Amino acid sequence: MTKKKNIFQKHPAIGFILFGLLLALIPTLAEMGIMKNGYVTTIGGTLIYAIAALGLNILLGWSGLISLGTAGFMGLAAYMSAYLTVDLNLPFEVSFFLAVLIPTLIGILVGLVSLKIEGLYLAIATLAVAEVLRKTFEELGKYTGGFSGKSADYPTLLGLFELDRTTMFYFIIFVLVIIMILTSNMMNGRLGRALNAMRGSEAAAQAMGVNLLTHRLIAFALATIFASVAGVLYVHFVKFSYPSTWSLAMSLNFLAIIIIGGLRSIYGTVLGAFIVYAVPDMFLKQIPFFEDLSYVLNGVLIILVIIFYPNGLISIGYDIRKLFRKLTKGGAKNE
Amino acid sequence: MSKMENHVLTVDGLSIAFGGLKAVDDLSFDIKDKEIYGLIGPNGAGKTTVFNCITQFYKPDKGDLRFKGHGDQIVDLTTKPVHDIIRQGLVRTFQNVELIRELSIIDNVLIGGHIDFEANTLSQALKLPKARKEEKKYREEAEKILEDLGILDRKDMLVGGQPYGILKKVEFARTLMTRPKLIILDEPAAGLNDSETIDLARLIKRIRDQYDCSILLVEHDMRLVMDVCDRICAINFGKLLAIGTPKEIQANKAVQAAYLGVE
Repeated sequence: MTKKKNIFQKHPAIGFILFGLLLALIPTLAEMGIMKNGYVTTIGGTLIYAIAALGLNILLGWSGLISLGTAGFMGLAAYMSAYLTVDLNLPFEVSFFLAVLIPTLIGILVGLVSLKIEGLYLAIATLAVAEVLRKTFEELGKYTGGFSGKSADYPTLLGLFELDRTTMFYFIIFVLVIIMILTSNMMNGRLGRALNAMRGSEAAAQAMGVNLLTHRLIAFALATIFASVAGVLYVHFVKFSYPSTWSLAMSLNFLAIIIIGGLRSIYGTVLGAFIVYAVPDMFLKQIPFFEDLSYVLNGVLIILVIIFYPNGLISIGYDIRKLFRKLTKGGAKNE
Repeated sequence: MSKMENHVLTVDGLSIAFGGLKAVDDLSFDIKDKEIYGLIGPNGAGKTTVFNCITQFYKPDKGDLRFKGHGDQIVDLTTKPVHDIIRQGLVRTFQNVELIRELSIIDNVLIGGHIDFEANTLSQALKLPKARKEEKKYREEAEKILEDLGILDRKDMLVGGQPYGILKKVEFARTLMTRPKLIILDEPAAGLNDSETIDLARLIKRIRDQYDCSILLVEHDMRLVMDVCDRICAINFGKLLAIGTPKEIQANKAVQAAYLGVE
């Protein structure tokens, strides 16, 4: 039964880097006119959402803990980074660090709460945190610009390299690939096994020496770090943040991303982000007569995916391979 | 504590009550090194409660639980949080097999190595050489245990969908991964047929000999208990009925009455 592992199974990092290089072709394709120029923005945004969704996947997929607060934390990091770079003139690196650190500390506090409450109650508690944050964005106009929003610029790396839309896009890919590699390393090792054990059976996990408190805190910390990183990238890529962006709808979209793409699947999360955020813009709007219904069509598409691929769209790869083998076999017979 | 010299576990005056109900009442027994010890009793006798008190899933109201852990250190189990019990060398299985369906067999076994990993999360995230070496070392150890139990050929299969007998073995493998001093088995024969139960008896003895540990068997299946145990402790309504060899227990009037009822 022991199959020889191919290089991608042995070193998943190689796959992630190749994936990143492939994505890095997109701006060039856009310049060559093969792809619409606006797609760079769409795909860049999608990849940012994928980062936050990966964090939620660690929380829900691996650890079995739910959060409806992802958008709130992402928004907090976005506003912080905008304020720190624009108003306080701090270097991008410093504001990046602070804008990830502070939401993460709040995320860890939520993790503490998760020891006492579970399931739907935890969902509601995290939702409340996110709503409080969203209200704060509206009310603290001095720092956030209130309803009129807060703007930010493309970042300058190391005080030397001023990024533009294309280079910022490369930077997003760079961060995404790093996060994919780190996630893969962590989830396929001791930490991932412990989180899996915690989801499977808390009693068994404890009997095996897994400290539930520490591991819940780690899960919440990772989820918030990823969401915050996504928030910082967002505000410096979209260059604007409104309170209404960081709503429950966005948190629910993250939930949709990981369920459509595949729980506990890293590529699946990116695939899910494409389905939820990129497909309506890039494909469904191209269908004649249905331009205005693209989001309705996307809803239908999501329902179909869930019906046919309850384990996530990522398992479509298995079906395609099977079909391919059938076709090539069939072809061989005909010869 | 000289009297503990050849005892791995001493339970002394253990009591716990739920509301007004005394689930375990002043129970004392001890398990020797390399002993297979049976804890029996009719339904509702308090076997599982005793077990949960020892493993600290419940905190007993009264009583001493002294355990001779790694390096022959005597520890008071009641002072340890539940996730630290395994560090002392005391590991349990579950009546209904608690494994992670979505993980492969070998990954499930590796969960038993959780406490042995020294590399921190950051060095695992970055796959530093130390973390990689450690992962490889424990993976090889897990493979050796699986080979011992005769299920190495299934190591990469998912746990979900495996037959019950295999699941029991995987759970055994996971406990052995912790290099235990005492394994507590919670009704391991539940759900097994006759020939599987005979295999299990053989396996329990083999594990004791090969892995140099004591075993506490909490069991319903009389044949298994009588077959493998060196000594047996029979309880009813949380109280001690008798302690003795299987023969003595079978002949004991109080035990017979508890199991068969009195005329």
